[in-house]
Amino acid sequence: MKFNVNGKDHALVVGSTERLLDVLRDRLNLKGVKEGCGTGDCGTCTVIMDGRLVNSCLILAVQARNRKITTIEGVGTSEKPHPIQKTIMKYNAAQCGFCIPAMVLAGKNLLDHNPKPSRDEIKEAISGVLCRCTGYYKLIEAIQDAAKEVSGVKV
Amino acid sequence: MTEATLLQKLREGEGFALIGKRLQRLDALGKVLGLPLYTSDIAPRDALKIKVVRSTVPHALIKGIDTESAKKVPGVLAILTAHDIPGINEAYALLPDRPLLATAKVRCQGEAIAIIAAEDSETAEEAGDKVRVEYERLPAVTSPIEAMKPDAVRVHEGGNIAKYLKIRKGDVNEGFRQADVTIENTYKTQFQDPTALEPEVGMAWLEKDGSVTCVGSMQTPYYVQTGVARVLGISPDKVRVIQATTGGAFGPKSDEMPVDTCAMSALVARKTGRPAILAYSRHESMIAHTKRHPFVIMLKTGATNDGRLTASEALVVSDTGAYASLGPLVIIRACFHATGPYVIPHVKTDAYCMYTNNTMAGSFRGFGSPQVHFAAESQMDELAKKLDMDPLDLRMKNILRPGTLTATSQLVDEACGLEECARRATEAAEWHTRRREFAGDRSTFRRGIGIALMYHGNSLGPEGNDYAYVHVVIKPDTRVVVRTALTEYGTGAISGLAQITAETLGLPIDLFELDRPDTASCQETGPTVASRVIVIGGRAAQIAAQKLKHKILIVGADLLHCEASSLTIKNGLVSHLQDERRTVTFQKVVEECYKRHVSLTETGYYIAPKCDFEAETSQGTTYQQYTYGAVVAEVQVDTELGIVKPPRITVAYDVGRAINPLSLEGQIEGGTIQALGYGLMEQLTHVDGVVANPTLGDYYIPTSLDIPEMQTIIVEYPGAVGPFGAKAMGEPPVDLPAAALANAVANATGSRVFELPLTAEKVLSAIRKAQ
Repeated sequence: MKFNVNGKDHALVVGSTERLLDVLRDRLNLKGVKEGCGTGDCGTCTVIMDGRLVNSCLILAVQARNRKITTIEGVGTSEKPHPIQKTIMKYNAAQCGFCIPAMVLAGKNLLDHNPKPSRDEIKEAISGVLCRCTGYYKLIEAIQDAAKEVSGVKV
Repeated sequence: MTEATLLQKLREGEGFALIGKRLQRLDALGKVLGLPLYTSDIAPRDALKIKVVRSTVPHALIKGIDTESAKKVPGVLAILTAHDIPGINEAYALLPDRPLLATAKVRCQGEAIAIIAAEDSETAEEAGDKVRVEYERLPAVTSPIEAMKPDAVRVHEGGNIAKYLKIRKGDVNEGFRQADVTIENTYKTQFQDPTALEPEVGMAWLEKDGSVTCVGSMQTPYYVQTGVARVLGISPDKVRVIQATTGGAFGPKSDEMPVDTCAMSALVARKTGRPAILAYSRHESMIAHTKRHPFVIMLKTGATNDGRLTASEALVVSDTGAYASLGPLVIIRACFHATGPYVIPHVKTDAYCMYTNNTMAGSFRGFGSPQVHFAAESQMDELAKKLDMDPLDLRMKNILRPGTLTATSQLVDEACGLEECARRATEAAEWHTRRREFAGDRSTFRRGIGIALMYHGNSLGPEGNDYAYVHVVIKPDTRVVVRTALTEYGTGAISGLAQITAETLGLPIDLFELDRPDTASCQETGPTVASRVIVIGGRAAQIAAQKLKHKILIVGADLLHCEASSLTIKNGLVSHLQDERRTVTFQKVVEECYKRHVSLTETGYYIAPKCDFEAETSQGTTYQQYTYGAVVAEVQVDTELGIVKPPRITVAYDVGRAINPLSLEGQIEGGTIQALGYGLMEQLTHVDGVVANPTLGDYYIPTSLDIPEMQTIIVEYPGAVGPFGAKAMGEPPVDLPAAALANAVANATGSRVFELPLTAEKVLSAIRKAQ
């Protein structure tokens, strides 16, 4: 099976029952993809597949054939973090950090499609990812703030 | 300067370089980049995967464990039962009541019976399904009230009471004689699951010298060290425990489960010689780990017609499940706080922590406080209704103020901002306007507003020795490393320790780094619980920093040919206080210290003064300082469907001193929403001792679409113990929201729900009953 992960093409032999989550974590060593429930409820395994958010625990690896996947490892670097990563740091919105890779991806995917989201659109966009630490307020503020940078408004 | 203006300046934080500043946490970058930080991310590639076979029944004798067909599954390397434990088969936190692996009996669902180690998780899972446990079912007791009866099923041989505590103040009968009105109600609360996003996980491997290293998701590495050593039958110094980045904890990762995950991994590592990892599934986690104790609280309260409280009589009963965990300590805190934050001359409280055959309850953020505040604050509103008073007025007549006495006759000191919290929260929430606006609303979607007040004894109080060690190292290049066995699991408190150290040393925060908590490099320091890190750990950090500062100034004085007492550290320089030209860089002094072999590694140790509460007299000081707070919640109730929505919440907390207001707001916001879940939707349901909804598809926690508009107000009355007056703020935000929501629902509908959570079914049934 061929697919593209974080801009890089991969060709792998995968079992018919292997989850995308396990292939990403165990075969491609992308440990930023988390498993919080394995039933599609918590959203910590969220990745972007062809511009849409998916729970990688509910997707079979073969379903990712010829698709383009983005994980947290494909977003930002320590020298140049994505605007959302910068604002999450600015607001101390990463507490335990376990949901953060998924939150960053959910926020980034929103801004990719809608650079000027309303507060309600942000809430909707991250509603598939649970966070038990922040109550979501600082994450929402962080995404609002990042949107300003992404859409060119001077922060 | 008068003492009052000095105090005022201190309150405003004048003169601080870093305290009170909205600083970024030190651990943020790795987290936002999704670097491999958590236990499962850093497991060795050859680690065996462990599956635990758990009891499916709440109470039974084990007649046999058949592992034969499981052993035949290819890829299975070991199957262990209680007989394979080389040390002591105990995994308790407080009372020696819980085996790591069940032997003759299981007392609740989810109790571990056998562990299977295999090359991969699927194989371990498959083999687990093939283990046959033969049970002889026993009758089960699943209600704490039933468990109190003399002829109840006995969960343990010593009886069903895990702990009893009382308070007697004044003469409660006399108090009720003085009362013009008396009300009596029973309140009930539910099991709440903590739902840290990372389920429990631990791993272990053998070192070449035969010692064991454990890495896991945990709050208290030294508890794990003791527990693992006990199970393996080796000396604790042969067990090294390292806390990996921990994906949320909220209490359960302090007591029993990290011992289980690490001890089981260590047993497998010893048996097979291979590293091993045990990662709970969510389902397994929700059944096996500790949850918030359900309580039954019977309250009788008396007051005069003008709204003076005269007496409170309470029976507080908690359900700790089949094993105590920290239930006996939870009931102590509950007992102390059962009256709510009010002056009541005559108090009688009896508190019981009961064993049942339900799954285990234990440590959970709030630690008995949310339950009793729900009851006490609902009761205040019921009393206000009976007296035909505004619930705010009734509270203001009775709240704790400086100079008043608590239920245990502890004198409330000047560090009590309860009145200001209540005033500012109600002003911001427009209490009087909204109440008038909502009164008489007879529409289908009815709005209501509710208030609740709290006090929260800080740190351990009579629950244990309240001490901490913090190590601080200044490296030759002037980087400063803060190292402690107190742990970070989300709150940002360890970054707070660095902030306190930096303030004390006069150094910028960007020089600071945090080390991993590791028993090999950190002194035993008591548990990371009870919002202790800032209050107690912060004092230890201050002491370590003062010791280092002293050394730096002595060497600096030598270089500048002056007295150490005339020097200060500021902006990377060691300078003379009167003569700014006499200065040397901090870097230069550090280099000089290293040259002269002056050690720049220091340990700060702090132990809080003892509390003089005595169980015999049930009177005395219970905690050295208190956090106070007020929460005002607004709800909209669909009176046809019973659905409650919370459009707005306003909270005010007396935090003593906000060390980092940004992180503090994060604690308050997160705690408020966790408690909103507790109030409105979260309930782990047991049916005859078996958990009915152990998945996140059936157990709902709040999402981003469930949160109200929120305003946070910070009030600062510096406390006697915490560094710079800081008070505990990790736990207190979960104490009140459920109570405020319950009062708001009663205000909206005119009918009270006496049992959490406020589900549509219960709200509707209360409305119907009132009609």
